[in-house]
Amino acid sequence: MTRASAIILNALGLYALALILAAAFAAQLLLHELPCPLCLLQRIQFTALAIGPILNIRFGPRPSHYALSLLAAVAGAAFSTRQILLHILPGDAGYGSALLGYHYYTWALIGFAAAILLLAAVLLFDRQFVDSAAPPAAPGAFARIAVWLVIALTAANAGSALLECGFGACADDPSVYELLKRAT
Amino acid sequence: MEFTALFLAVTIVMLVAWFGPRSLALALCAAVLIASVVTYLHHATDALKLSF
Repeated sequence: MTRASAIILNALGLYALALILAAAFAAQLLLHELPCPLCLLQRIQFTALAIGPILNIRFGPRPSHYALSLLAAVAGAAFSTRQILLHILPGDAGYGSALLGYHYYTWALIGFAAAILLLAAVLLFDRQFVDSAAPPAAPGAFARIAVWLVIALTAANAGSALLECGFGACADDPSVYELLKRAT
Repeated sequence: MEFTALFLAVTIVMLVAWFGPRSLALALCAAVLIASVVTYLHHATDALKLSF
């Protein structure tokens, strides 16, 4: 894999992360399901996953950039595993609704596990790291749009979390937007 | 509030990664990862009721 194709792959990864964040927003807004604290932490890890690809697009692919994404994916997998274990006993309906038979935190674990596998697979290709000290070519529109899409969705999540939790601790089982409740 | 702060922190790290120096972005990213783990440990206080 050449340096240029690695950058395209990183941009595609950012689009995939943007799709995940947008789907989470869609579930929140259309189904009126507010994310719990553990759900928010998993979303934060999905956004943290994007930092590595952004660095790869800006500075060129480096193992340290992939390592940051790997660490974020491992943390996210741990957080989603805990939420699965909280609801694993028979008779427990789980938190929120299910999508295609799995709750969102189960999908999150599948997503983080897939990210770990894909990052490890991409790290196998050494040619992308040749001339890593040389300045990379300016990123094209495809990559720049991916970067700004993920940054915009992360900032939107900050606004959403502020509306949901307000300025205090976030409820364990939130049902209303705290800031909107205070405003009415 | 801590989740808003973490999302804002990730947004800032992304902006630094895109516009700023690489070393600062790496350091800030590491700090955000540590902060998210600390937040998780703060919240994950319920005992897991597992019996196999």
